[in-house]
Amino acid sequence: MGRRDTKTPFVPERDAYKAPVMECVNLGIDFGGLTAVNDFCITIGPTEICGLIGPNGAGKTTIFNLLTKVYQPTRGSVYLNGVDTKNLNSEKANRAGLARTFQNIRLFKNMTVMENVLVGLHNKTEYGLGEAILRMPAYWRAEKIARARTLELLEIFDMQGIHGHKAGSLPYGSQRRLEIVRALATGPTVLLLDEPAAGMNPAETEELMENILKINKVFKIAIVLIEHDMKLVMGICEGIGVLNYGKLIAKGTPAEIQKNPLVIEAYLGKAEGEGDA
Amino acid sequence: MKEFTISTPARYVMNTVLVLMFLFIGNHITQSGILLRSQYALLIQIGFFIILAVSLNLVTGYLGQLPLGHAGFMAVGAYAGALFWRAHLLPPTLSIIVGLIVAGVVAAIFGVLIGVPALRLRGDYLAIITLGFGEIIRVMLTNLDSITYGARGLLNIPRYSSFLIVYACVVITCTVIHMLMKSRHGRAILSIRENEIAAESCGIKTTYYKVLAFAVSAFFAGVAGALFAGNQGLLVPSDFDFMTSINILMIVVLGGLGSMFGSVVAAAVLTFLPFMLQPLADYRMIIYSLMLIIVMIFKPSGLLGSYEFSLSRIIEKVVNKALSLRGGAAKGGR
Repeated sequence: MGRRDTKTPFVPERDAYKAPVMECVNLGIDFGGLTAVNDFCITIGPTEICGLIGPNGAGKTTIFNLLTKVYQPTRGSVYLNGVDTKNLNSEKANRAGLARTFQNIRLFKNMTVMENVLVGLHNKTEYGLGEAILRMPAYWRAEKIARARTLELLEIFDMQGIHGHKAGSLPYGSQRRLEIVRALATGPTVLLLDEPAAGMNPAETEELMENILKINKVFKIAIVLIEHDMKLVMGICEGIGVLNYGKLIAKGTPAEIQKNPLVIEAYLGKAEGEGDA
Repeated sequence: MKEFTISTPARYVMNTVLVLMFLFIGNHITQSGILLRSQYALLIQIGFFIILAVSLNLVTGYLGQLPLGHAGFMAVGAYAGALFWRAHLLPPTLSIIVGLIVAGVVAAIFGVLIGVPALRLRGDYLAIITLGFGEIIRVMLTNLDSITYGARGLLNIPRYSSFLIVYACVVITCTVIHMLMKSRHGRAILSIRENEIAAESCGIKTTYYKVLAFAVSAFFAGVAGALFAGNQGLLVPSDFDFMTSINILMIVVLGGLGSMFGSVVAAAVLTFLPFMLQPLADYRMIIYSLMLIIVMIFKPSGLLGSYEFSLSRIIEKVVNKALSLRGGAAKGGR
């Protein structure tokens, strides 16, 4: 199982691992007496797509919350582009290059699609408070660039036509897509997607897979995704980690994971006659 | 068919001209003596309440927090401005401007001092903390006898608050808050109301923006306070009790949380209504309260919801409608 082998990457042959964008070392968190995540170690290369799977309640979203500093880990550390994220909060983690989407969509519902993306571009749009209030040239310039950039980003999902709609009025699938665009707008090096295909039909999922691959290629960023849709995970992930009861029980390529007896056990239970171990 | 739109510079010019015309005409009317004293006083009072409501709306409507100590900031500004004016350090015109700025800055400093610890809490806890702050200010003003003359009142404050000064401040308040809200900083403030966790994950410095909104709100409350002092000519701490904060909050809620235009309309309506109902004597407050209850039952989002008035948008709509009618059924204009 090799839980402590931090140096073993998901996909060993990739030389990208000489400088991983993200590295978790023995990450763990306790809630009161309950250990939600323990000894979590992964290494992610610059343009890799990885999947995190596991039964419900295995701690997948908790790991995302640990990475983005919504929770502070009890043990272990996370390195982002080689820098320890120990003293960061979620806002600083974002500026260090970590963007995410949420399992239960968290859009700014009463703001328009464009405004949602513009909030994502907040730190890329540079003008001061005084420049904004006095409407100085810097304001106009930066706003113009930001708006053009927003339309460009919305184009990934072909959403530029609905930039004036209220985010809360969009159908479920579009809300998920908008959340991805908003996360991308912050200019991340690692993008965390929490169940991006939830609530999508097979055709939409198919489209999403293509779009994730496109994002990966165009933006040259690493993508980590939590997903229950095995077709999506097996289809686009280069490396997969399987989580059960807060522990990483397996990691490897899709083919390896599919054959791994521990994974089959976690999902389907023990075969009869095998007995307790 | 190309839609008719007014270009941004044209909008700015149009709005500036209209605002200047409003100030100019208003100034003439008030100086010509057509208005009764009571009508003039009412007009000025509406002015303070617009500033107070619009500034509170920044924190309540846009930031989504519920402070109950707005009268506290108003009090700080009122005393700061009044004491500055009473010292007669500068020639009158300059003194008015500097006094208003001093009032705003002192109130904003208090806003930051209160905001930093208070904004770590949310909802009802924030309400209680700010309520406590408002009361502390009032009690302190009562007891700092050597400076504020306590309950006896601070007298001989120069009467600087003319129509022009008050409504110029109204215009500046609305403009600054509007410009702030329609920028990346304003969007950051709105995003905190909408979803704080998501805002943080987008790299928004949530604490900074909360304190900023609080400080700007306190600044304008302070300016309104100074205008109030300059209108009354005397100040007593009991002018700034808890009920004043509640009245301002009522205006904001009635106008529609997050609608600046709503705050302006509600400030005018709620100040004007008791005045209009005066002939009804004792029944006045019953009707006033009933009206509030009825509005809240039938329109819980406030009189105007989150509607924002925009003259250029209305003009554009009308022109486009006319164009599409003339364009005929060929395209069935959208």
